Amino acid sequence: MSNEVKQNQPPRGTVKQLSKKERNAAFRRWTFVAGLGWNYETQQAPSVAYAMARALRKIYPNDDDYIEAMDNHFKYFNITPQMGNVVLGATLAMEEKDGLKATDAVQNLKVSLMGPLSGVGDSIFWLLWPTIIGGIAGYMALQGNPTGAIVWTLVSAALYFVKMGLSKLGYSSGTKLVTAFSERLNIFTDAISVMGLMVVGTIVATVVKVYTPLKFSTGKVSLSVQTGVLDKIMPALLPAALAGLTYWLLGKKWWTPTKIILLLVVISLVGTFFNILGIAPAK
Amino acid sequence: MPIVLQNILIILLAAWMAWDNGTGVQLIGQWPVCVGLVLGIITGDYQTAMVISGTLQLMSLGVAAFGGSSIPEYGVATIVSVFLAVRTGANTGEAIAVGLPVGMLTLQLDILVKYFNTFTAHWEQRLLHERKFKQMQGVYLLSVVIWMLKYVFPITLVVLFGAPVIKSITEIIPGWVTTGLEVAGNMLPVLGVALLLHYMPARKYLTFLIAGFVLAAYLSLPILAVALLGGGAAYWIYQQRVASLKPASAQTVDESGDDYDE
Repeated sequence: MSNEVKQNQPPRGTVKQLSKKERNAAFRRWTFVAGLGWNYETQQAPSVAYAMARALRKIYPNDDDYIEAMDNHFKYFNITPQMGNVVLGATLAMEEKDGLKATDAVQNLKVSLMGPLSGVGDSIFWLLWPTIIGGIAGYMALQGNPTGAIVWTLVSAALYFVKMGLSKLGYSSGTKLVTAFSERLNIFTDAISVMGLMVVGTIVATVVKVYTPLKFSTGKVSLSVQTGVLDKIMPALLPAALAGLTYWLLGKKWWTPTKIILLLVVISLVGTFFNILGIAPAK
Repeated sequence: MPIVLQNILIILLAAWMAWDNGTGVQLIGQWPVCVGLVLGIITGDYQTAMVISGTLQLMSLGVAAFGGSSIPEYGVATIVSVFLAVRTGANTGEAIAVGLPVGMLTLQLDILVKYFNTFTAHWEQRLLHERKFKQMQGVYLLSVVIWMLKYVFPITLVVLFGAPVIKSITEIIPGWVTTGLEVAGNMLPVLGVALLLHYMPARKYLTFLIAGFVLAAYLSLPILAVALLGGGAAYWIYQQRVASLKPASAQTVDESGDDYDE
């Protein structure tokens, strides 16, 4: 059966161009499946293969060419989904131009961009932005106010256009983008971390809460450790100290975030049981 | 909204969340407040949904799943906690005391699914070589469905059998445990803080960290006000740094120009 199909096929090495619509369809596919089907061996490779499947079929009408090109995309790949748009935009441009001759270059580009772009992408999309907006929206939500959550959802929806824009950027600037684009992006990440750090400072002071109901009593005089001693030294002294301790622990190899979560839960449970830690009374 | 319809929507929300978060956030990701917002719309109990999801949001701040790593499923924890509080009237501490462990258990399913996907990935590639291109894409879509099941399965169990069973569990939990978990909830944002400080140029921009702390601790400025000031500072630094990129080439021109003048 496969022989029959083969006879109607264009010869090997035929390379066709995509229309703008077909290109955008491939980018849209990646935007909507990036990261699904994640596996421990090739990580995001199945997502890449699925995203490119239809576009590559168009570029390589010959079955054997198509299989070779797809095999290339079934290799290990892992990147911040949004940044994947840039890389896949660039690889699509290369394959449209040079066909299978680009296979090695495509693989090299993917591998070399994965690390640096994920570094920047993870910081922006998974750390800085969620911390800044999450701190604000979470704090509002505690008072029953959904405004922050609504804004967050709307911004996430709008990011669709950013992702498609990144694909087009990758497609049009190709390999040049490595230097020009990542330089600006690094500055952007650096600058936005200033905002992140200020919010982090606020979070230590307001969101992190450590309260002790301990009291010193000598004779008739009783002194609350929290309001009488700690708060007099500095507001939010215990949260700041806890932040310092956690920061220090994270620097140690053995202390993974999960272990620290467990440690904090155990400290809280034991502290509450012995009445050393508690919930601050509402003012 | 009738209870049955609510239940169906909550299960669909679980499937949606798996897709939404797995693709790098389309609308709500698995961010607790955004999931809580949807739950508020479904259950009609905004107040409860926002307060509980806000608590979980702050607990999970800064904890992110990089490069496919597995973290407690805070989105699942949010759905379970809010569902429980709305249906049984459990308080925030009790609701989270049940929701968070479910989120932790779901993490095991996440790992299982990622192992299973190794198998579907090989299957897809085999179909590619057999020239069954349509089936190849079909198997990928199957892996997407399995991906969704990792949230749908625990949430369905909780929705179908949960409320009465969990209600009886929360009645057994001693008071100091729920209070203790609430204390932990107040403390946990510190982990996100510490992680962020490790990822961000904290030493370089220590000034701004201290400024944020002082503005909030001593001057009691709300977090949004500090964020706006931070945004202003970030804009200024961005402008400065971008401007310093160009002079490298512009300066040489200027210098040669000066030479001619003299």
